[in-house]
Amino acid sequence: MKKKVIAMLLTATMVLSMSAGVYAADESDAAYVKEKGTLVVGITDFAPMDYKEEGSDDWVGFDADMAAAFAESLGVEVEFVEIDWDNKIMELDGKTIDCVWNGMTLTDEVTSSMECSNAYCKNAQVVVVPSDKADDYQDTDSLSDLAFAVEAGSAGEEEVSNLGLEYTAVKAQSDALMEVSAGTSDAAVIDLLMAAAMIGEGTGYENLTHTVELNSEEYGVGFRKGSDLAEALNEFFVTSYEDGSMVECAEKYGVQDAVIEQK
Amino acid sequence: MEQIMEQMPIVIHSLNIGFLQTLKLFFVTLIGAFPLGLIMSLGSTSRFKPLSYFIKFVVWIIRGTPLMIQLLIIYYFPGLVLHNPIWGGGEAGRFLAASVSFILNYSCYFSEIYRGGIQSIPVGQEEAGLVLGMTKTQIFFKIKLLQVIKHIVPPMSNEIITLVKDTSLARIIALQEIIWAGQAFMKGSQGISGAIWPLFFTAVYYLIFNGILTLLLGRLEKKLDYFR
Repeated sequence: MKKKVIAMLLTATMVLSMSAGVYAADESDAAYVKEKGTLVVGITDFAPMDYKEEGSDDWVGFDADMAAAFAESLGVEVEFVEIDWDNKIMELDGKTIDCVWNGMTLTDEVTSSMECSNAYCKNAQVVVVPSDKADDYQDTDSLSDLAFAVEAGSAGEEEVSNLGLEYTAVKAQSDALMEVSAGTSDAAVIDLLMAAAMIGEGTGYENLTHTVELNSEEYGVGFRKGSDLAEALNEFFVTSYEDGSMVECAEKYGVQDAVIEQK
Repeated sequence: MEQIMEQMPIVIHSLNIGFLQTLKLFFVTLIGAFPLGLIMSLGSTSRFKPLSYFIKFVVWIIRGTPLMIQLLIIYYFPGLVLHNPIWGGGEAGRFLAASVSFILNYSCYFSEIYRGGIQSIPVGQEEAGLVLGMTKTQIFFKIKLLQVIKHIVPPMSNEIITLVKDTSLARIIALQEIIWAGQAFMKGSQGISGAIWPLFFTAVYYLIFNGILTLLLGRLEKKLDYFR
């Protein structure tokens, strides 16, 4: 439904912008950001990449800290804005944000609609089941009789549909977890990094655990299509990987094992 | 249960901030839509045909499309099509865009309620006023308006209470009102993740606020009981 709406809006956009001839000249996106003096970073609340500490109003996390450092290297202020993940491409193209920097998996959908940086972090899609049933579902073959819940448009949805499993698409990864917890679905497929933070001991989902890794994937940063900022960020990644500041930042949030070498 | 008690202070704090945003949007919408709705209703009953057709056209568009789509169009359209993101990406810009959308949308509904109120006044009263040598403006403000206000309180109350709940639609452009604040704890925020109850708990806020509104509007209706 929402996809249709967005598609219609985009079609209307294209038609109108062609007929009105108001297309802006191909100016450099880096110059645009420098001129306005702020890099607006679209994020969602997603520990340990972008989140707020208890009682604090400042965004921290591996992605947030790297974004702040990148903005500093450009000589501009950084501004974090929480966005609706479904609308990220509209937000970018509508210039209400300048980049999406939020543990974003580089899927075909993402790379075809955004100018993406090199991958800087790796992740996997994992199957989440109630702990007491975990022993029965330790390999891909055992999954066939489960009813899955996955986030619509996520990498997890791609995996389960490739495997031909029965699934329901829900609005968010957290909704998928709620489905499993409530027993309305047998299992969910979510990010490994997210699973590590959200299920098991000391979380709201103590009775859930993750088992099979379905695939591995990589995180990247998305800019407007054709933006020269992606290239600038790649260079920034190389410098900060070489001087160790990137890994240092990752260690602060416990994601150092996931960082991909930049060269 | 114990866990909920532990999470309670953080969640309540967050929900309060979200509800403040909800209330801000609610009051800004009312302040904007009450007068704009009246102006539109005068336009749609105007004898100058192009004006009344234009207003009717606008009302048709706004009432005929979902508020959610209007929010998306008003917020994203300037940047996407005109390449001029007038709202800006910050939270202030989102609030401004949401306010404009809500005021526009509710003005249309209000204008129809006003129109019904105005047209319910028997034409004899206007004729009597004219015979007494009053001007049209005098007739409107001194004779009609008070009766109109009395007539429209019940349907207006309906819309006002709906508005409280409709503010939640603004989350589509990532305005961080109370539903957004409640949902944040499901995927994880401020050290709490996988908590489902805050989302459901937001209903309590709406319910209490609407309870207060119902009482106030009921009292207003009684106060306006000057001519049965």
